[in-house]
Amino acid sequence: MTNDSIGSIKLVALTPLGDATAEACDGDFCAVPVHHTQAVVNKKLDQDLV
Amino acid sequence: MTQPIKVDIWSDVQCPWCYIGKRKFEAGAAEFGGEVEVEYHSFELAPDTPVDFEGTTADYLSARKGMPLAQVEQMMERVTAIAKTVGLDYDFDRVHQTNTVISHELLHFAKSKGRQLEMKERLLMAYFVNGEHVGRIADLVEIAASLGFDRDEVTEALISHRFLPDVKADVALAQEYGINGVPFFVIDGKYGVSGAQEADTFANVLAQVAAEREAAPDSEHERSDKEAAR
Repeated sequence: MTNDSIGSIKLVALTPLGDATAEACDGDFCAVPVHHTQAVVNKKLDQDLV
Repeated sequence: MTQPIKVDIWSDVQCPWCYIGKRKFEAGAAEFGGEVEVEYHSFELAPDTPVDFEGTTADYLSARKGMPLAQVEQMMERVTAIAKTVGLDYDFDRVHQTNTVISHELLHFAKSKGRQLEMKERLLMAYFVNGEHVGRIADLVEIAASLGFDRDEVTEALISHRFLPDVKADVALAQEYGINGVPFFVIDGKYGVSGAQEADTFANVLAQVAAEREAAPDSEHERSDKEAAR
């Protein structure tokens, strides 16, 4: 990461924020963490309880 | 008057987490409640994909990654289930795996008309929900026409590839930032947020940026506001 300017955007070294394990597509591979299966099940259970 | 918080988002039309992340970001921005200005930037996840890939997305990923078809299909089922939790009905059986570079050109064309955001939503829906082809000029012209764009103007823009340099500039900018995966959010030009974060996370980041601005009243943004007011 650089301190530079391209077009209208001034480039600075970015400070990372948020959950570093959030799902993203890297290259042509889109990771699907297994724990999300459980997260979806939990959400459904929560909805059923409501 | 405070300037809106600028959010630059790198994203690809065929990125399942980008559409899910878009929904989560929108929910987070609504939760934040302040003014936010969004600009999308092009990112090509698989620039060597042919325009007319023969086969399904599962076939493509299986061949490309050397993964068993059943494993790929299971992954796609999980993504589909997660998409449903944010109100998106992904239909991978109808997806046309393709090269997205021309769809990015169309996004820049729409941006030149001040309508990038609605085109972004339309293209993601076209790819993941509607099963429309987003790699061929004729199909993209129809997609643009469905939003009321002039067919001839869109056709000329896409055939001439006059927005291709803008696509490549976005990709180069991503490299400068060190962005390897999408969706990627650059907030206020300072913070990098990677992936389809939860809505609360986006809301918290936006609130943090807003609080920092308030704590530094003579910031660059305030000076810009003052200059604009003169």
